[in-house]
Amino acid sequence: MQGEPADLVRDESAPAELLLRVQSLRKSYGPTVALEDVSFDIAPGEIHALLGENGAGKSTIVKLLNGIVQPDQGTMHLGEAPYHPHSISVARQHGVSTAFQELSLLPNLTVSSNLMLPHAKKGRFGMISERQNLEAAEALLTEFGVTDVDPRSLVANLPLASRQRIEIVRALAQRPRLLVLDEPTAALAEPEWLFGLLERVTARRTAVIYISHRLSEVRRLCSRGTVLRNGCSIGTVPLRDVADSKIFEMMVGLSQRNTARSTVAAKQAKPSLQLQNVSGRNVRDVSLTVHDGEILGVAALEGQGQRELFRILAGLEKLEDGQVTTSGTPAKLANPKEALRAGIGFLPEERKTEGIFAGLRTASNISIAIAGKISKLGFIGTQSERRAVADIAAQLDLPVRFQNRAIEALSGGNQQKALLARVMVSGARHLVLYDPTRGVDVGTKQTIYANIRRFVENGGCALVYSTELAELVQLCDRCVVLYGGRVAAVYDGHEIQEERLVAAVTGHGEH
Amino acid sequence: MKGGIPVCSDRKLSPAEAPATARESTPSFLSTDLGKSVVLIALALLMLFAGRLVSPSLGGLNQISAVLVLSSFLIVVAFGQQMVVLIGGLDLSIPSMITLGGLLAFAWTPHGVGELLLVALAVMAVTGAVGMISGLGVTLLAIPPFIMTLSMGIIIYSACLGATRGTPRGQGSETIEALFSGRFLGIPLIILLVAVLAALAILLQSRTTFGRFLYATGTNRQAAYIAGLPVRRMTVATYACSGAAAGLCGLLLVGFSGGATLTMGQSYLLPSIAAVVVGGTAITGGRGSFLSVLAAALLITTFTTVISSIQIEEGWRTILYGAVVLIAILAMRDGTTPLTWRLLPLLRGNKKQQST
Repeated sequence: MQGEPADLVRDESAPAELLLRVQSLRKSYGPTVALEDVSFDIAPGEIHALLGENGAGKSTIVKLLNGIVQPDQGTMHLGEAPYHPHSISVARQHGVSTAFQELSLLPNLTVSSNLMLPHAKKGRFGMISERQNLEAAEALLTEFGVTDVDPRSLVANLPLASRQRIEIVRALAQRPRLLVLDEPTAALAEPEWLFGLLERVTARRTAVIYISHRLSEVRRLCSRGTVLRNGCSIGTVPLRDVADSKIFEMMVGLSQRNTARSTVAAKQAKPSLQLQNVSGRNVRDVSLTVHDGEILGVAALEGQGQRELFRILAGLEKLEDGQVTTSGTPAKLANPKEALRAGIGFLPEERKTEGIFAGLRTASNISIAIAGKISKLGFIGTQSERRAVADIAAQLDLPVRFQNRAIEALSGGNQQKALLARVMVSGARHLVLYDPTRGVDVGTKQTIYANIRRFVENGGCALVYSTELAELVQLCDRCVVLYGGRVAAVYDGHEIQEERLVAAVTGHGEH
Repeated sequence: MKGGIPVCSDRKLSPAEAPATARESTPSFLSTDLGKSVVLIALALLMLFAGRLVSPSLGGLNQISAVLVLSSFLIVVAFGQQMVVLIGGLDLSIPSMITLGGLLAFAWTPHGVGELLLVALAVMAVTGAVGMISGLGVTLLAIPPFIMTLSMGIIIYSACLGATRGTPRGQGSETIEALFSGRFLGIPLIILLVAVLAALAILLQSRTTFGRFLYATGTNRQAAYIAGLPVRRMTVATYACSGAAAGLCGLLLVGFSGGATLTMGQSYLLPSIAAVVVGGTAITGGRGSFLSVLAAALLITTFTTVISSIQIEEGWRTILYGAVVLIAILAMRDGTTPLTWRLLPLLRGNKKQQST
């Protein structure tokens, strides 16, 4: 077919001593086969990457390793002993701990309570001692280099990046033999912290399974990686010797698709979305203009005001000062409905809690914003709904059989495509996309890029924030850098380069 | 993505979220709303015929008709309760609203179909408006639904008590009573009326923008707000629905019993919640259809009718009632639908298991 990389499938660098050996795992849920045949192994002190598109089976492997689900066939060995956990706590007793992608912290408890669960320190009379817990939690946070989080604060009040760090610290606090990290840097703006920690734990011969969509990270950290595709392990490769394109090819089964980098310079176009001296919580005096046909990128480290800025535009956060103009008209942004009326289509940060309607069909999820328009006398016909979403769904590669399923049954990448379809059909001309490719696979990313590009070419505009600078380099016509709530730099066309952005987001712009 | 994916290429569905996929991709008949309803109604029939073993007066066609008439009250209030539960709330003011509706219908005594329609609309407007106030309290003042509707219930009950000084004044209405005595094509009018209302309710939930927004808001309030849906208005509307439904129930009860009392709504609170939950509606909101709630209301009414006609002590009756509700909930729960499957072979004497 596309030239199976058969020469890579054989792994010549197999280590002598093994911590984890996984053989021919198979797992199906009803008629859906999640894992078909997965084998790989890990040596002590190794950081081993699991690579694959969304839906390739990575999350199922995480669940199997943690005993959340049990395999139908196949074996796992931890050290020399067979390993078949039937619950998370058994997995922990065996020294396997995990930082989950869908963070497993309890939002209504404090950081310290979360860190101490399930074995809170008991004081006299067996009552939980707040003080001892706090001390222990503080010690853990210091040990693992999290200095800016108060252990007394509620998890719900922390930004996503901090929650992710707490999730990782909680996994590390178990002193595991095998640490599983599922997309640990998805929300981290400064992954160096994690890389430092990983160096420390691997020096103590802890093995790490590292799941990430960011190949550059994976290359930097991992010596070997196992590529998964559709529930099968395609092969374990020493990452040093393999080119990116080869890995993509193994993951997708195709050569990497063409990128969506724009060559069009629509510079003379009219201003489409204009921000004048916009200020609000964490946002100071931001002015920027997105033109018709333009994708404007926003680069920033975590917590530089980008989240609030985007939420101001979405009508979720108060605009304290300044003005937003859409297509030449001043926009009122008191709530999301008004933002939508002003033509702003907002793609929120967390698709699970802010985006999808889990039980509704995918088609209904897409059409919800235009339900009023496609209905007759308040009634929505299945046919008119299908017609209304058919085009956009086809463009985003969402086949009809997906449209009729509940959206919760779709992979994260497909859910994200459906949410993008929702804002694109909503009638909005100004897309405000907060990290549109968060935690989605390579193939889906390309589809999303291509659709944002197509949307602006048809007369819209897009403001895009991304945690991945490389993505902004690939996608945007212009790029602004936010630092401390202000615009720190603006780059145009070919000036957008990853090195420059890196310098600017850390406050070292040449500006 | 297309075509060229070698190996296991047929399923690009996410195995990562496969538990949900599995539930979704095997629309085993029992997990559909229609399937659930069929099971619930089959259980109800089974119960009726089992009753026949105990007493020959049970289990006939007449009794089926009687049960249908009796369940109309629960079906009507369960609709309102379900609307509120779907949006993630709970309505505890239902008993008082029934009483209020009953008192008004009793006082206004309609004569003739035209007046009946008018009175019914007026009663539902009043109780609906009171429900709306609960809804406003829940949305604008952020009072938990539980507290808001409980207080509203107490206020309404006290107002009814104060206004009537304990003895409701009015007359029984022959027109409302005719709903219960009259027949069309041999079927009691009330059954036809409830059937029409139920069909409208199912349409409202499954085919309208209102229904769509209701489920969306119920599953994910935050996402609904961000998507620009009228979250508050939807919430208020469900409480108004519940109030109106309870008011209508009160009016029907006046027709059934020929009078109104202050306690006429008392016995409907828990059954209304039970019908909603047994009918497979998620108590957290967003999932469930009225069809299966209707079936659950039939099952619950059947059970209460059968059990009150056999000779056991009141205490045991209540225990049995609780047990049946619990078992029904377990059997209808989405994740455990297979439980019903596993029980079926046992009922059929293991025939199926042997053959496989």
